[in-house]
Amino acid sequence: MSKSSQPIDDFARELSRETRDAVLSSVVTRTAGRKAKLEADYKDPDLLRRLAGKVKQHTVEHLDEYLEQAEAALTKNGAKVHFASTAESARETILEILRNKGATRMVKSKSMVTEEIHLNDFLEKQGVECVETDLGEFIIQIDGDTPSHIVQPIIHKNRRQVAESFEKHGLGAYNDDPQTITHRARKHLREKYLQSDAGMTGANFVSAESGRIVIVTNEGNARFGMAANGLHIALVGIEKVVPRDKDLGLFLNLLGRSATAQQLTVYTQFINGPRSKSQPSGPKEMHVVFLDNGRSKVLASKERDILRCIRCGACLNVCPVYRQTSGHGYRAVYGGPVGAVLSPLLAGDDFPKYADLPKASSLCGACHEVCPVNIPIPELLLRLRSRANKEGIKSAGAPPMAPFARMATSPKLWQTAMTASRAMNHLPITMMPIQPLQAWLKIRTLPKWRGGEFRKWMKERGGVNSGGRNE
Amino acid sequence: MSEARDTVMRAVRQALSDLQEKTPLPEYDSEILICAKYREGEVGGWLEFGENFAAVSGRPLTEVGELLVFLKEEGNDSGYCDPSLKERVGTVLEESGLKVHYEYEHDKVDDYTFGITRASGVIAESGTVVLNDEDTVDRLAALAPWVHVAVIENEPIFETIPEAIENLGDSSNVIWVTGPSKTADIEGILIEGVHGPGVQICLKLD
Amino acid sequence: MLMATCLSDVFFADMAKATVEVLESVGCEVIFPEDQTCCGQPAFNSGDFPAAEKVSRYTADVFAGDLPVIVPSGSCAAMHFHGTQLLFEDKQDTGEVESLAGRTWELFDFLVNGLGVKKWEGELNKRIALHHSCHTRGTDTGAAMETLLGSISGIELVKVGTPEQCCGFGGTFSVTFPHLSGEIGQVKLESVLEQSPDLLVSADMSCLMHMGGLAEKQNMDIETRHAVQVLRDVSLASQ
Ligand code: SF4
Repeated sequence: MSKSSQPIDDFARELSRETRDAVLSSVVTRTAGRKAKLEADYKDPDLLRRLAGKVKQHTVEHLDEYLEQAEAALTKNGAKVHFASTAESARETILEILRNKGATRMVKSKSMVTEEIHLNDFLEKQGVECVETDLGEFIIQIDGDTPSHIVQPIIHKNRRQVAESFEKHGLGAYNDDPQTITHRARKHLREKYLQSDAGMTGANFVSAESGRIVIVTNEGNARFGMAANGLHIALVGIEKVVPRDKDLGLFLNLLGRSATAQQLTVYTQFINGPRSKSQPSGPKEMHVVFLDNGRSKVLASKERDILRCIRCGACLNVCPVYRQTSGHGYRAVYGGPVGAVLSPLLAGDDFPKYADLPKASSLCGACHEVCPVNIPIPELLLRLRSRANKEGIKSAGAPPMAPFARMATSPKLWQTAMTASRAMNHLPITMMPIQPLQAWLKIRTLPKWRGGEFRKWMKERGGVNSGGRNE
Repeated sequence: MSEARDTVMRAVRQALSDLQEKTPLPEYDSEILICAKYREGEVGGWLEFGENFAAVSGRPLTEVGELLVFLKEEGNDSGYCDPSLKERVGTVLEESGLKVHYEYEHDKVDDYTFGITRASGVIAESGTVVLNDEDTVDRLAALAPWVHVAVIENEPIFETIPEAIENLGDSSNVIWVTGPSKTADIEGILIEGVHGPGVQICLKLD
Repeated sequence: MLMATCLSDVFFADMAKATVEVLESVGCEVIFPEDQTCCGQPAFNSGDFPAAEKVSRYTADVFAGDLPVIVPSGSCAAMHFHGTQLLFEDKQDTGEVESLAGRTWELFDFLVNGLGVKKWEGELNKRIALHHSCHTRGTDTGAAMETLLGSISGIELVKVGTPEQCCGFGGTFSVTFPHLSGEIGQVKLESVLEQSPDLLVSADMSCLMHMGGLAEKQNMDIETRHAVQVLRDVSLASQ
């Protein structure tokens, strides 16, 4: 068997057709929807992408200043601002906030950054119940699974699978009607909201100017998580800051359209402080925890552009590799093109563990084309490949490049090789010398070798010279 | 806490210390963010809002009578109403036999099939209802019932999203609601009414 | 000057010939520097920048001068003008490489936007599915190819679903990730076949090699042709 030793290739090979097709059909629809919406709504959507890219690039390049501004604005409004440089310190900080209030029941809205620090497991061990309230995340939680997409966590599951796990977890007899499933979740989670004593969220953006934290959800779960209890904690990656309120308009317009083909996500919340005297309801305490967890290292690298990412998922949806693997193929919290860049970088010293991910791309560039903040993902992948190469990290199944370079810089060697390759026509493919080529040929044919033919023809016409080389 | 702050800020400054050229903050006119459909429509105001609100499954209404008919048809016979709207809305419903509560009791959340609260404005371009915490009597009242009725009287109609952003005001908690609560998590199939309202109504009273 | 690409060297002699004939028919004199090898992309994409740099410098040397360099492949052309920017970002002595980048044209971009050829005489009664190679994103090649082929009478250009999707080749990617590459190609191929075209045409031979190879293995009936071969054949037929 020609089993490739690239883990993501193996993963894709072993992924069930059912799962692959679930992912594929969903992202094809999303990709088409995104494009149609942007093109219907704007004469030149690219103009906005480029602008947003510049605003965010500017922000990350001045992150120290904007973080301080955001901190000051939030503090002035009565929110408590914390910083955490590692996942561990973030977990401890959050636990301490909860302990101080005696909170033991927390409801959470969808947040990739809490996945990143594995918050749920930790808090559960400390006796805090954490309930995911986004429908998809809730299903992930009861299944003990992990999200396979940053916007649609259960893209890899179909309704039958969801119905089965609802039945298994005592949420009613088997019924795979999505309406029924949603209704049961509504009922179940409603109780959790009402009994909760803390609400946890991430943030999509933070305006440095006003400290406003923007959280968007379609389900309304983030709002509900802050409607019935007295404590709101937001865990926010330091790169989520944008300079001004005005810029929120820019990013919200792009986020909704890129993620879900919506002009605006249904619930868009702007929060920059706890409940004041003139507000009849809402949490009396608001804590914001800014998380580094490797981001400052990314900031120091030449791949810092990836920090512009607004987690819209468009690059996952359009990526031909993601379409064959789902997010789980990427073995980390962030999958798809953005994950292939971010995971190796956030891994810090564990870079070699994820150094294969940047290679798992045909560099087709579709991700760059759809990215609302214009991140040149293929370029970043190449930079990481170069880094892996410099660090001498082996890549399974990759042909070595030194012999190629030797050949390609010597016209004599090159021409001989090109002509000699003609001999291959007479070899049965199973006897071909290079192992990877056999894998290639299992599912494809190669055209007839015609080494040297064109050169001969060209020479006969007299169009050949020695070029600009001065040897 | 401040130690952690120093660590993070130092790391960020350190990371940026070698950066020679920095990208300037681009200036732009928020005009460019406005949706082409809105520009071409040239309708504006409540009508524009109504059209766009309906496009996201919202129901724009201008008469309490219409609201009454809708609530009755759908069998929503008992709900909550902001006491400040008792005179203009609540009593009209009561007179027609609906049960209206003016005090929101948290342990009766599931008994209210509708919730009538005040909105702070709407956005025409996107069909969005703006809710400020100062104007919302209780967050749950605008969220838990199956039908949420957001009422505006003289509150502003913002034409565009940028205009609404400029007018976020002093409230520390503003939310924009663009249609009913929804999900497409299961096989991409759209389901309305996940945690929040399955029906979102905006009632404009003169 | 013509950069024929390494794939023409080994496989696609006819495509290279067609390129020469088409360029000559619009009044160009075609020079083929004999010492040319490859653009260096395989090493570049593998992350072996030192090896790529060697090949890239070598190629810049072979094509030194001030003549335009025409490449019948968006991917190799892009290596010259995009790839080298990253490869040489902190490097000294990049004059020749930059010069080559500035003079390199993808063939169809050159024909339509460089020479101003907007119409191709001749007739061909075929349904043609176009595949836009990924490396022509952001350049004008796709539109240029559509303009020229679309101007030939009798040709019906059919739209392929999900045009932004890659054929899955990706050079060394197809060798290192054979399963992924094959499945991606399969999805693409199916969307092409849905349109039941007579011909599958692209401005990049490597994509065609991949899709054609997949199809042939499954005995699927689809003929592939480089767009420049179509131009040449149409001209020949009308003579
Ligand atoms: S990298 Fe760009 S396209 Fe991908 S998730 Fe981030 S913002 Fe969206």
